[in-house]
Amino acid sequence: MQCLFYTAAGFDKEDAMPEIIAIHSFRGGTGKSNTTANLACLLARQGRRVGIVDTDIQSPGIHVLFNLDPKDAPHTLNDFLWGKCDIGSAVYDVSRVLGAGKKDNLFLIPSSIRTGDIARVLHYGYDINLLKEGYQKAIEQFALDYLFIDTHPGLNEETLMSIAIADTLLILLRPDQQDYQGTAVTVEVSRQLDVPRMFLIVNKVPAALAGDALAAKVTAAYNCEVAGVLPHADEMMALGSSGLFCLAHPDAALGRALEDILRRITA
Amino acid sequence: MNPGAKKILLAGLTFAVVYGLLNNVSSIFLLPSAPIISLRPQIALPMAAGILVHPLAGLITGFAGNMFGDAISGLGAFQFWNWHIANGLMGWIPGLVGYGGIRRIGTVREFGILQMSLVGASAAGVAAAVALDVLFIHLLTFPSSFPSWILPAFLTDAVNGFILVPVILLLARRIRLTLETRTILMITGLLLVSILATAGAITWAVLDDLVSHSAMVENFYIAAIVSVLLLIAGFIAAIIFVRKVTDPLASLAHAAQAVEQGNYDLPGLAGVSARADELGRLARIFEQMAGKVREREKTLQRQVDELKIIIDREKQAQDVSEIVETEYFRALKEKARKFRET
Repeated sequence: MQCLFYTAAGFDKEDAMPEIIAIHSFRGGTGKSNTTANLACLLARQGRRVGIVDTDIQSPGIHVLFNLDPKDAPHTLNDFLWGKCDIGSAVYDVSRVLGAGKKDNLFLIPSSIRTGDIARVLHYGYDINLLKEGYQKAIEQFALDYLFIDTHPGLNEETLMSIAIADTLLILLRPDQQDYQGTAVTVEVSRQLDVPRMFLIVNKVPAALAGDALAAKVTAAYNCEVAGVLPHADEMMALGSSGLFCLAHPDAALGRALEDILRRITA
Repeated sequence: MNPGAKKILLAGLTFAVVYGLLNNVSSIFLLPSAPIISLRPQIALPMAAGILVHPLAGLITGFAGNMFGDAISGLGAFQFWNWHIANGLMGWIPGLVGYGGIRRIGTVREFGILQMSLVGASAAGVAAAVALDVLFIHLLTFPSSFPSWILPAFLTDAVNGFILVPVILLLARRIRLTLETRTILMITGLLLVSILATAGAITWAVLDDLVSHSAMVENFYIAAIVSVLLLIAGFIAAIIFVRKVTDPLASLAHAAQAVEQGNYDLPGLAGVSARADELGRLARIFEQMAGKVREREKTLQRQVDELKIIIDREKQAQDVSEIVETEYFRALKEKARKFRET
């Protein structure tokens, strides 16, 4: 009995259970896609096999960060949800962003950017069991260690699904009164969905404010662990989604803060 | 890094051979009226061996080198054994200071200690030789040996070491070129050039008289003593001067370090900022700058303190219940529970 327990809990770190990490924020513009992409990239660079799903069906965008031209991605998450393809054919290897010749450890499942596709999914909706099955299959087929889910802001039905599926939920907020109230609602709703592990990430913090004092305040306000406080980075703004920050500026304060977050959430 | 006994012995004996040979070469150039004590640049060898390799290497170079030199010059290896000890001490004492205390010279203080150890070692070596002579050998006579043996021995060793050892240490990169060491080296150099030039000019002018009138010799040595005293006084004055410039810089560096670590109280800078000169101005500007940084730090701290995360708990509860009490949410929660269990 004890033996079984150890196996199931992933006693050996190398054989750890694959983990689904959803990244959410109540409002848009918190830097969700950028943070997701950077965290995924850093993990992939550590040799982990990482997948990213863009479930922001209403306003997909993360494919831009990985230079994935929609023309080169005939199948998307939308197609899978309508049963037009299996999940495997909507998975694209984007490892080349890690460096020339790199392949086979960073994958992206994009959403369709065609407005017709978007309207259709939003109109008919989809089932959480189908989504969960799709993730499971993708994880198995591509032997993923981590699957990141980039979500649509707010608390619509699709977003709630992503939260419900996640093993770990990262909620992004900015140090802005506009974000505080909605984040409080998100945290509470996620608790009710029994998300196993939940962290807050404070993003776009003026460099002077970024520190333990702010983290302590946020922790106290939400009664939820803060995985990191990310300083606002001019370099990130300068990149303007034309690339990945962690690759362009590996030594910047923001890059180090991202690595600290990874250490916490994968601990 | 401690050199092994073998390395010390090898270095000591190698330097000793060179030293012994040089003893015989340079004795061609004799000091007027001091026929046995000669101009001895080679005394820098045991001193440098003591500092660069090990005190014992200095001891061996001085002792064995002097013995070897005496042996090949025909004086006999053991006749003046007290001078072997004297030369050994001259290599050993600077080694104790330079090897044990100051690995690499970087400040005026360290340079001063080193130079004084060379003068002190020369004095101690000659004193030991004289004492041993009085006790066992009985060759020296007093007071006549004083100007003819004892004083020239001390003067030549001290001056030669004082001039040459820093050059050797510079070449061996044992002097870090800081503002302090550069300045003291420059001033010492100027001091030496002026004193040696004066002494040389006087010697040249009275050379004929020195050779023919022995009465002049004592005057000459008085001049030599005055020169050496001037050299030492000038050196000490130079140390004081250099430290007047470099100490404030050290204070400024400490202050900058304190600010870097977030400490804006700079009591150590008060002395410098009171100065009327350029360094005083720099210190005052630095104090103002630190004050401004402190102010800005305080403002930021206040901003963090003032940052309030206001959550309307009533509205939060209302929004949450609007979501969780829907049929969709209940169903979702149930499905999530199910696949979490599997």
